[in-house]
Amino acid sequence: MPSARDAMANRGDDDEVCPVCKSSRYLNPDMQFLINPECYHKMCESCVDRIFSSGPANCPVAGCHKTLRKARFRKQTFEDINVEREVDIRRRVMQILNRREEEFDSKRAWDDFLEQREEIIANLVHGTDVAKTESDLQKYASENMRSIRANQALEAQEASSFKEQQTHEQELARLRREAAKQEYENERRELQASREDVLSRLAAGRPGDAAAIAREGKKVLLKKSSARRSEEDRIRQKQAALRNSDARKAGQGGLTADKADIAGDSGLIKGLKKIVTPEPEKPYDPFGGMVPNKRDYYTLRDFYPSSYLDPIRQDTRMQAGGYDLQEYYSRTLMEAFAGLGCFIDEEMAQRDGAGSLGGSRPDATQGAAQAAVSSTGTPEAS
Amino acid sequence: MIEDDFYRTSSQYRLWSFTTASLQAQRATTNAVASDRVRAAIRRAQEARRSATSSATGTPVPEVDGSTPNPAKGDEKAIECLTPEEEQQTVSYYCEQIIQLGEAYKPPLPTIVRATAIQYLRRFYLTNSPMTYHPKQIMPCALFLATKTDNYYMSLRQFADGVPGDTTAEDIIAPEFLVMQSLRFTFDVRHPFRGLEGGIMELQALAAGQGPPAPHLAHTHTHTAESLQRALHALPPPPNAPSTSTSSSSSSSSVTDRIARAHHHTREILKSAAQITDVYFLFTPAQIWLAALRLADPPLAGYYLDTKLGGGGGPAQPSGEATPENILAVLRPKLLRTLADCAAMLQAYKPLASDPERMKTLRRIIGKKLYHCQNPEKVHLGGAAQKRIPAAALAAAATTTTTGGVDSGASESEMERLAKKRKLETAAEHSGSKDIFGGELVMQRTKER
Repeated sequence: MPSARDAMANRGDDDEVCPVCKSSRYLNPDMQFLINPECYHKMCESCVDRIFSSGPANCPVAGCHKTLRKARFRKQTFEDINVEREVDIRRRVMQILNRREEEFDSKRAWDDFLEQREEIIANLVHGTDVAKTESDLQKYASENMRSIRANQALEAQEASSFKEQQTHEQELARLRREAAKQEYENERRELQASREDVLSRLAAGRPGDAAAIAREGKKVLLKKSSARRSEEDRIRQKQAALRNSDARKAGQGGLTADKADIAGDSGLIKGLKKIVTPEPEKPYDPFGGMVPNKRDYYTLRDFYPSSYLDPIRQDTRMQAGGYDLQEYYSRTLMEAFAGLGCFIDEEMAQRDGAGSLGGSRPDATQGAAQAAVSSTGTPEAS
Repeated sequence: MIEDDFYRTSSQYRLWSFTTASLQAQRATTNAVASDRVRAAIRRAQEARRSATSSATGTPVPEVDGSTPNPAKGDEKAIECLTPEEEQQTVSYYCEQIIQLGEAYKPPLPTIVRATAIQYLRRFYLTNSPMTYHPKQIMPCALFLATKTDNYYMSLRQFADGVPGDTTAEDIIAPEFLVMQSLRFTFDVRHPFRGLEGGIMELQALAAGQGPPAPHLAHTHTHTAESLQRALHALPPPPNAPSTSTSSSSSSSSVTDRIARAHHHTREILKSAAQITDVYFLFTPAQIWLAALRLADPPLAGYYLDTKLGGGGGPAQPSGEATPENILAVLRPKLLRTLADCAAMLQAYKPLASDPERMKTLRRIIGKKLYHCQNPEKVHLGGAAQKRIPAAALAAAATTTTTGGVDSGASESEMERLAKKRKLETAAEHSGSKDIFGGELVMQRTKER
């Protein structure tokens, strides 16, 4: 920015004069030029105030009939007005075509998309096929309103989380620096204190002990400093671990940013992933389609008259143990009809026929016979 | 029908159901294999006796297959093996023995225990021959096993006391593992007894006017509890029942009595004929008890079937889709045919004791023929059984001579069997896949043994 402003300050005369009111910087050093992305015609701040304060008006530049609004006027960022315009167009197109890489089937599709976007931008910048491109873009925008908005929200979230992370890191760095400073300070103070201690002891002690006291003082100093160093190491390791885990967490946060709901394939962009909506789960059927207690040969009743069974109903000795005649009914009736429709003659013949692939059935029986006769092996089931 | 699928999951259906032909083939195979073995074993024993001093018994006798042509044709004649029919008669005799043995206990063993034991014995002798294992040894073991599987607890000593002869407890459980193995460890026997109780229970309910129509016929309006009751009361009296003692005043007595009588007769049939004949292998329990009921009281059985399957009036539409009526219409003639077969088989049964002529031939078979063609290597079951259970191998030293003999006899056919099994397995698995080291291992294992 400063370099741009410098460049602006050093520019020639024609830049210094407002093309509308012809006032120059020379007369008005605070003069600022504004542009409107509608036509990119430059004019000074006072002109904008003058012309557009009372509502939208035509561009004062001769031959330009665009209607401009005051709200859209802004400062020029780039020196070259064409660059400014391209950046604006790019921003607008990017806002609309804001698909993300994970929405595409393949890398290739994503690359195609990027190329297509660049082409659209180039078209708009250079004015080729503007009407068609513009209409395509609008159509796409209106069709994919939801996904565009979702992606925008995602982007904003990412940006904010990135910023947050950065400030967090800065904060951490500051804390570390402070801690280090503190450390250094402590060390210095302690050194001083111990030195003073030694001195005072030397002063108080006898002359013969001088050497011993000095040695002792040095030893104490060494011990203290080594203890401190190990303590520091420990803290540093801890911090490093903390930092790592933070980073990892942040990374995960980025990954788990919830996937936006994507509208169906648009006409403009190819190769988007098909959105598979999972089939709604059916209610769980514990019997797998079978009807419990369904019987084909009989209907179970609650009571069957029987001189033999009736006393049991009244017999508390039987009932106390939880004996239930229902169980007896259902079991006897089940056994009465289990296999009524099994025609062994047919079914076994069929099975033997099917199982005779390689003569397994005769072999199995023979094997069983021999296994039983001889002294080894369990007869295997066919 | 959901009940049929229920039965199809049982081991009785999966492992112990046969067609008439396959049952016969199975018995013939067993008999042939056992005869070969017996001949070989007896020949070996004779040779061993002949060369008792010089050659060792442990050396394997060179032989190609069960029937070697060259050594001593005189022996071949001397060893006369049982035919499959004779084997079956022998087994049947011991099945009846089980019934009597069960009666001897105080209190008598429940019918269901005896029936289970009989089925065990019959299943055992599907894959084993009486020539190999004498039924006299197997029979008490089967009965004892049945008391355990049917939850009728008895201590072994108590059980052994009831067995006639000087049978010790050890003798009874010696072949236990062998029996279990031959049963393929499937101890579940589906009996028709409880099914009969259920059917009678429903008939009584029908007689009282409380019987609900069958689920598939409930909507036809011809079947309501009242109409069913009326139909039941209007049944023609049964023609003279197979056992004539109680049939004198059948027409005058009430329907309930009639049902109770039918119940009794049916139960008698199930206890005797159903056990000794092959019906358990050929039919399902539901068919067995219905066939027995048909023998006891034909009109009643016919009526009961009609309540279940609908009257014969409903025309079968073979082209129509599988509506319940259609299924029943298709099922009905087939079921009637099957029941008729089963009933004929049950009716053909005559208890052995009632036929002195058959009894005499049987005595000859068991007494003489079976004695002569008993496999000499399988007499000492204790040794063989203990060899199977490593935990019980304490007495192995005592039986080394016998087991040595068994080994040499078994190993070759065993080897052959294993090789064949392996070949089949690999063929079924995938012809191209090679299992490394597989063949080697099997050969080694057989040699070791």
